[in-house]
Amino acid sequence: MAHAVDTHEHHYHPPGLQHQFEDMKQQEESVSIGMWVFLVQEIMFFGGLFTVYLVFRSRFPMAFAAGSNHLDAFWGGLNTLVLIVSSLTMALTVYYAQKGNRNMQVILIILTMFFGTVFLGVKAIEYTDKYNHGTVPVDGWNKRIPEGGTQHSSPAEHSTLTLPFETKASAADAEPHESEAVHPNPQGRFRIEDKDLELVKQAQEGNYLTGSEKIGYFSNGQGSLPNGQIDEAKFRDKVRIFFWIYFVMTGLHALHMIIGLGVMLWLLWRAWLGSYTAEYFSPVETAGLYWHFVDIVWIFLFPLLYLLGRHFLHGGGH
Amino acid sequence: MQNVDAIDSGYAEKPVNYLTNGYTVKSWLLTKDHKRIAIMYLIVVSIFFMMGGLYAATIRLELLTPQSDLLQSGTYNKVFTQHGILMIFFFLIPSIPAILGNFLIPIMIGAKDLAFPKVNLLSWYLYMIGGALTLWALMQGGVDTGWTFYTPYSTTFSNSYVMAVGLGIFINGFSSILTGLNFIVTIHTMRAPGMTWFRMPLFVWAHYATSLIMILGTPVIAITILLLAIERLAQIGIFDPAIGGDPILFQHLFWFYSHPAVYIMILPGMGVISELISNFSRKKIFGYEFIAFSSIAIAVFGFLVWGHHMFVSGQSTYAGLVFSFLTMVVAVPSAIKMFNWTATLYKGSILFDTPMLYALGFMGLFLIGGLTGLFLGSMGLVVHLTDTYFVVAHFHYVMVGGQVIAYLGGIHYWWSKMTGKMYSEFWGKISAMLVFVGFNLTFFPQFILGYQGMPRRYASYPEEFQVLNIFSTAGASVLGVGLVMPVVYLAHSLIWGKDAPANPWLLPGLEWRTASPPPTENFEETPIVTWEAYDFTEESGLDLEDARNKYKVTV
Repeated sequence: MAHAVDTHEHHYHPPGLQHQFEDMKQQEESVSIGMWVFLVQEIMFFGGLFTVYLVFRSRFPMAFAAGSNHLDAFWGGLNTLVLIVSSLTMALTVYYAQKGNRNMQVILIILTMFFGTVFLGVKAIEYTDKYNHGTVPVDGWNKRIPEGGTQHSSPAEHSTLTLPFETKASAADAEPHESEAVHPNPQGRFRIEDKDLELVKQAQEGNYLTGSEKIGYFSNGQGSLPNGQIDEAKFRDKVRIFFWIYFVMTGLHALHMIIGLGVMLWLLWRAWLGSYTAEYFSPVETAGLYWHFVDIVWIFLFPLLYLLGRHFLHGGGH
Repeated sequence: MQNVDAIDSGYAEKPVNYLTNGYTVKSWLLTKDHKRIAIMYLIVVSIFFMMGGLYAATIRLELLTPQSDLLQSGTYNKVFTQHGILMIFFFLIPSIPAILGNFLIPIMIGAKDLAFPKVNLLSWYLYMIGGALTLWALMQGGVDTGWTFYTPYSTTFSNSYVMAVGLGIFINGFSSILTGLNFIVTIHTMRAPGMTWFRMPLFVWAHYATSLIMILGTPVIAITILLLAIERLAQIGIFDPAIGGDPILFQHLFWFYSHPAVYIMILPGMGVISELISNFSRKKIFGYEFIAFSSIAIAVFGFLVWGHHMFVSGQSTYAGLVFSFLTMVVAVPSAIKMFNWTATLYKGSILFDTPMLYALGFMGLFLIGGLTGLFLGSMGLVVHLTDTYFVVAHFHYVMVGGQVIAYLGGIHYWWSKMTGKMYSEFWGKISAMLVFVGFNLTFFPQFILGYQGMPRRYASYPEEFQVLNIFSTAGASVLGVGLVMPVVYLAHSLIWGKDAPANPWLLPGLEWRTASPPPTENFEETPIVTWEAYDFTEESGLDLEDARNKYKVTV
């Protein structure tokens, strides 16, 4: 806004124009294509992870449902909402940059950053919950709960983490779940609960286990256990794969959010200085593309990790 | 109409060029000039090539005798693994794009620089960091998993430095991605006025296709290696069958990148060959559009054939059938290139200078490499040939006989442009021929060895294979001499070589219409292109009367 740029004058060198470009139009086009190409490689990067998810989920839907049940759809849903709103504020930032409105840009960038931070805060609450409940998939990285110990989360604390949006079925499960939570875990191991095994039993009775599950849960290389008994260790390994994928996917997504916040901080500083005008706003647009991309990744992560498989809670057999 | 004499005499005044524009270390390490970055790549990539070559020499020495006498089996595993890792990730993939592509793409399309010079510098640093980490790991004890990092070799059964090397390759991968990104954007937006898509040299088309693969493939290997590293760290089974993982999934993800990666290696080489064949035949290339689109076709189909690496590793027969069919399909665009090059030679005025010797060598060797690839793409035959020296020979015919020879041809061809000096044509021809002979002597016997059933990746072998192995090792020595010679005479030319004219062969490409070496901004003024690529007619604006006298050719 400080400089009115006259791009028509031939020898005038606009402020933001880098030496390798002929004019601003070429520069903006390059930056925009560059960001799109970068996002394509991001899609392929996350695509590898989604492939891993799809392969294991299609083989072991019950293990994934069990893992999914440990996640809290309330927090996941809240984060989805937060990110969608942050996308709105980001889009509005671009709009006001095009209008050359410095004050609105600054306010909206701060809002975007606020929502981004809220997202990460919620993520931290969720990770802590996993830590407390022994569902971090690395042995020794969970909270150590000694025999008969009191370090386990109190029921009151836990209920704040489960309720508002919980389904009836899991509310009904809440009681046995609580008693599970006090189980000692002196080594901080990854562990599963009885209700997780219930899912497999249900599926076994309903006869909707996949072929991989019939092998994967019930036999351990030496053959099947008698009476169609579940091999808990084998099943636990499969649930652990779910949590492993959960942590890698959401962790990498969170890393992208942190980088996004860094970009926003830079953008905020430049916007504060009034660098972006109706003639020159391509950095805002480009940063916006990145921000929206990170949001969209979450839009896919949320249903895959939090929602799919929840219907098994209601006794998916019928 | 531009006078060739005027270009020729341009060097006499010695104006400031990109090499004389600053001599401090900082002016190199913080440069944003694509030409300087290319030279920095040239130096480091050459060092990696020599190290990989030393490992190769060690392998050939060990295989001179049937017993494992020079190396223990465990050490041998490390040696061939590290040969593969250095050659593939740190030489074959970056060499032509990062050196020649970096240097030439902006010049060939009449731009001042790549679209993102800082990103270009960043990719050099990422390459250095990845390379340094890998070298550190190799010195600490190295890896023995094979360059493919197959699980469970790389998980349960490996105590070597898989994580460090994996991280090195991960970082190096982003160097490759950023280079590809830069090329794609540059080719889209930075072309000079009049430089339409179909006036671009085929070298640029080849790099466009290569960049597509870099963008689409490399992130997948990055995430795969990341998952492998976390798996080793946390002991959770995604890929390791002992803890619930799926090793075939690893192979799928690995080859989803690593098969297209061989096209990252060969496509730029094909781009170089298109330049060489057309320019040294002094004839417009035959079937320009077909060669341009065949590069894109290779990039696309290259993504659909990864399963042919897994015919015998538990993949379903039906998947195998489809992959086998698609493998045959991907041979078609390569064949289109071969036929078009041959047709270009027909009635051309061929100059047998060093770069052209390399180009002709490429055509022969790539033909053999490509056709034996079809053997390996057929599901039945591969059961016999898989994991034998036949595979090794095929791969080296395509990669050394193809990529390395194209790279050497390109380095010789553009040496005068890059350094402003002429190398010794005599020694150049000698070394090109030594490379050709040495290469064939090294790898042709391996086809026979593989067909007879000698498995790869063993330090010892039955005695009846010894004769052919001796041939192979003898060939490797000749090849080694042929590869060391250019280092000597090219370095020699830097100091004692004749100053190069702007256009030593009187060629129409844009890179020959600026000084040797070019100024930092590449051109005094942004060129306006009015001619087609490889235009040897009057339309090119060159004084071809002069060329006729100089080369006694009919144009």
